[in-house]
Amino acid sequence: MTKPSNVIQVPDPEPGAYNPNRAAGKLLVAQTLHLREALLHQLKELAAVLAVDPKSLKTEGEVSAYVQKATALLHTQAATPAKK
Amino acid sequence: MSEGLDNLKHVVVLMMENRSFDHMLGSLSLVVENGAKKYPKITGLTGNESNPDTAGNVIKVQPNAKFQSQLDPDPDHHFPGVDLQIFGGAPPGPGRVPNMQGFVKDYFNQTNDINRSHYIMSYFTPDQLPVLTTLATQFAVFNGWFSSIPGPTICNRAFAHYGTSFGQVGMDIFYILDPILSIYERMIQAGRTSKIYYYDQQSSTMEIVNLLKNQPQIFASYSQFVADCQNNLLPEYSLIEPCYSDHPGLGGGEILASDQHPDHNVQEGEKFIARVYNAIRTNEALWRSTALLIVYDEHGGIYDHVVPPHCTPDGYSAKPSDTGTGEAFNFDRLGIRVPAILVSPYIPKGTVVPGTEDSANGRIFEHACIPGTVTNFFLQGDTKRTIREKNASNFLDLLSGPMRPDSDIPYFQLGGS
Repeated sequence: MTKPSNVIQVPDPEPGAYNPNRAAGKLLVAQTLHLREALLHQLKELAAVLAVDPKSLKTEGEVSAYVQKATALLHTQAATPAKK
Repeated sequence: MSEGLDNLKHVVVLMMENRSFDHMLGSLSLVVENGAKKYPKITGLTGNESNPDTAGNVIKVQPNAKFQSQLDPDPDHHFPGVDLQIFGGAPPGPGRVPNMQGFVKDYFNQTNDINRSHYIMSYFTPDQLPVLTTLATQFAVFNGWFSSIPGPTICNRAFAHYGTSFGQVGMDIFYILDPILSIYERMIQAGRTSKIYYYDQQSSTMEIVNLLKNQPQIFASYSQFVADCQNNLLPEYSLIEPCYSDHPGLGGGEILASDQHPDHNVQEGEKFIARVYNAIRTNEALWRSTALLIVYDEHGGIYDHVVPPHCTPDGYSAKPSDTGTGEAFNFDRLGIRVPAILVSPYIPKGTVVPGTEDSANGRIFEHACIPGTVTNFFLQGDTKRTIREKNASNFLDLLSGPMRPDSDIPYFQLGGS
């Protein structure tokens, strides 16, 4: 594609803009609380699966139900980190 | 249908954080060229808008907004604070009139400093925001896009995902008990494609409990968005979340927050908007087939002069104990106006969508318009949703023109100062 003639220059932030020591705002605090809630929910699901003794499973139906739950918990589709 | 709608295959929404229309785009109304207003249809600032401070002084809007270190502490944007901003301190009750006169007073509650409280009236000039103002003047800008609730982030973003916040007006966790699916779930259940692209794992998503738990497959990172654009794998509907925090990159380096939430750097947000635009713009096939909506979730406590209008209630009600004002809220009026820009090569240059200033032709938009428009376009409206979402304005009719030539379309070059 031909580069358009109306190119707009976008400046960088001033040096020193980066501040990971800035106090976290209410939005980020809420985000951590929500994540914790989601983890607790997942923990309960994990605990329910771990409470089942695999040796107690006798039929293919019982085994497949166990495998489904375990696989669903293990097969999380984590996103790849972004590069700057 | 128009040529633009015939060719439309993708809708992308980039939702930024916590800036009002007047703060970011209001100065466009003050631009003069050859002795006349250059953008007369944009409902921005006259320069005479004002608020009283706590000492009774009249504080006018000022072109002194800074990219960072000005709106610190974070201006209040929770329900009681926004109530003060809109009604100027008049106690809840029948007959009170919104006057947009409580912004400085409310920011004083954060700062305890009269001079600092005036910063809530600050606005950027167009040269400070080359990306946002270029897109606003080259494509379509909405005079009347409002946040869905006069409140904070989580409940407002819920409207973009579900068309409702299920009665929530705050930041609390909520669980979906009603059979209203998110727009992403609706799309996937109908055999369509949809994703939420969050910036990276350190920033993650703000839509956590209901979607991250149940629908991990709809999430991907921003780097995946860029790859999907390059490889013609962009879903039919996607929402992009900016970076919400300054943090070290996993491979080293400094990642700046790009959400523009005070006190994050506004220029970094400009760069992020430009990157998202360029990712679509530089793939010819994608550019021809994509509509990009850039919108802010709420105003972040920052001044805007337009009184939020009433809206179709969504059937929910928030209790007085939840609103914090002593009065229930029936979701029958909108939050404060935010910047919203629709980008497509089929949008006539300089389109301004009239809002509340035009009683005959004005159109009101809010975040329920997002799932509403996407559902109508991709799913022909066939899904369970609130009456508010069903009645929400659609924005894709703005793709009304012929394809504009490359020479007429801006391109952003990043870096340098």
